[in-house]
Amino acid sequence: MHKMWLVLKYEYLRHVKKKRFILAVLSVPLFILVIMGISFLSVLFSIDNTPIGYVDQSQFLANPVMLTQGGSDPFEKNLEIIPFDTEQAAQSALDQGQIQAFFILPPDYLDTGDSKLVSKEIPGSEVYNDFRLFLRKNLLKGYEPQIADRVLEGADVELVAMEGERERSSANVLSIILPVVAGILFMLAVNISGGYLLQSLVEEKENRTMEIIVTSISPTQLMAGKIIGNLSVGLTQIIIWLFFAAIGIVFVLRTFPSLQSAQIDSFFLIIMILTFLPAFVMVAAMMAAIGASSSETKEAQQIAGLFTIPIALPFWFIAAIMSNPNSPFSVFLSIFPFSAPVILPMRVALSAVPTWQIVTTILILIVAAIFSLWLAGRAFRLGLLRYGKRLSLKEILQKG
Amino acid sequence: MSTIDVDNITKSFGTQIAVDGVTFQVEPGEIFGLLGPNGAGKTTSIRIILDIFKPDHGSVSIFGGAMTEDKKNRIGYLPEERGLYQEVSLENCLVYLATLKGMSEKRSQERISSFLERFNLSDHRKKKVKELSKGMQQKAQLITTLVHDPELIIIDEPFSALDPINTQMVKDLLREQSKLGKTIVMCTHQMHQVEQLCDRLVLINRGKTILYGKLAEIQEQFSGNEIILRTENPLPANIPGIQSLHSENSHLVYKAHLEDGVSPQVILQNLLAQNIILKQFEVSSPSLDEIFIQVVTKSGEFDA
Repeated sequence: MHKMWLVLKYEYLRHVKKKRFILAVLSVPLFILVIMGISFLSVLFSIDNTPIGYVDQSQFLANPVMLTQGGSDPFEKNLEIIPFDTEQAAQSALDQGQIQAFFILPPDYLDTGDSKLVSKEIPGSEVYNDFRLFLRKNLLKGYEPQIADRVLEGADVELVAMEGERERSSANVLSIILPVVAGILFMLAVNISGGYLLQSLVEEKENRTMEIIVTSISPTQLMAGKIIGNLSVGLTQIIIWLFFAAIGIVFVLRTFPSLQSAQIDSFFLIIMILTFLPAFVMVAAMMAAIGASSSETKEAQQIAGLFTIPIALPFWFIAAIMSNPNSPFSVFLSIFPFSAPVILPMRVALSAVPTWQIVTTILILIVAAIFSLWLAGRAFRLGLLRYGKRLSLKEILQKG
Repeated sequence: MSTIDVDNITKSFGTQIAVDGVTFQVEPGEIFGLLGPNGAGKTTSIRIILDIFKPDHGSVSIFGGAMTEDKKNRIGYLPEERGLYQEVSLENCLVYLATLKGMSEKRSQERISSFLERFNLSDHRKKKVKELSKGMQQKAQLITTLVHDPELIIIDEPFSALDPINTQMVKDLLREQSKLGKTIVMCTHQMHQVEQLCDRLVLINRGKTILYGKLAEIQEQFSGNEIILRTENPLPANIPGIQSLHSENSHLVYKAHLEDGVSPQVILQNLLAQNIILKQFEVSSPSLDEIFIQVVTKSGEFDA
């Protein structure tokens, strides 16, 4: 086992110490930060906090309830709403720039619900939203405050599974975003680690170091060291990114306190880890088998690229899975080993998944991982000294 | 107990039989030659000994048993397919390979430093392996073979890619290792290179053993058939007992092939009887190359 650690350490440090690695790791969060910063600023600058006005010809807003002004959050702040007696007065205020737009409620407003908006340019959505909220609040003025609140905010529906263990809240924004982000991270990790692993295996052949290596260490220990070492490189990269993501989330939560109610479900996290780890080993070992049976880096990378297709495929169906997480198609994708690491956590986050499906999926993944490792070991043993010749799957499975 | 005991091993790749019933032993402390022309099955035999290939038939015992992970640390192997990690510095590459042979990092660094010094590679230790010349890489590979102070050294074609100076250095190194009591197996097709080094040898051709035994005994066995003569005057065309006579580049130096059953002593008597003035009379000790050619042409098993 000692020698396995030597291989692991060598493989890990070889990549992590390189300038190229450090650059690659830091460039992604920096890139995302710049993109996020630009979009945040562009939204911030587009918000117009100039008050809006209204002319009430229907007289139903005789004693209006005003909107509260909201907190420090620039996105949550309500616009100030100023009443005007006549259209002319409102028009002149608009001309002078005191207000950015005004609504006219006709005398028959309560019967028709029609209103008119006068503005110099097309106003932002907050103008409509805030005025609509203002109208609703006043329409509900006569009701008890609790009833008014329920009407305004709608119901918070909580889904309870038949087994009664797991509950999903439809208000949990993170429950939708997180599985998608986790899936993307998984794909990235597989790609990165798999790439490193392949490179290291094919290099062993290109450098013709195989004979020295196998007369020093057993192929199984070498393989284990290489797979774990290179997976660790990919995980290091992902963990650094997650660290930046955590900073980002803390920052976002500070800015948007309304998101704080959202929480990460621990059950979802457990399922995520349980599917990610065996899937990770499965894909890595399959890539290793290819690395050991092909003779050139380029060729190996091309074949390994094929593995990311079934992993990426579920992203095409995200909308279908989200709208119907328990359809036969969704269930199939969540059990199929290649799409499982992306789809199963997503279904768990969105819906109540029967326990047998979760257990089956994870078991299949573990069996697939062990089989792939076995395949990789064999491919390595047989492909050992074949320079320039590819090993066929048939040979790997047949030969003793 | 023999260090290596190869018992009737056979290995074929597809329809090609690479090794066909080869048997030999390597005794502790000797320099053993595993010889034969290109494609004779030498490298395959070595790979079977080192458990890289499994033999189809027959068995190999090393240090008195099957290969284990611990035994790998006691063997130094210089493969014919030379290879080092190209993308890392020479020092890192050597230290990594030494630690895989069970050495501590600190000790391997010390040993590698002294080897680099000795091989004039100290200035290149920080260079990437791929930046080194072929000869330097060859020497670096030799360090990898010897750094963990192995009891058994197996080297495949040790002199390829080496100039005469480095060839001499490697020979000296092997002699030195032999004096330290190490067992050495040398595998080469350059038979003349090992004549001065080997104690015993096995000669294989087309996967089969054709000669096996002590170098001195083999040479003895094949000597006596030829004598070298240097005379003051040209030799007469026919001397009893001499089958054929070749004149080397100088006209007055001859190589005489004797008729079967005629001893060199008889020829000497005949020459003296004819009053031929001799400057040199030598029973030629045949080179391994000559012995090899003689054996394979006799058995008709040589493809040109």
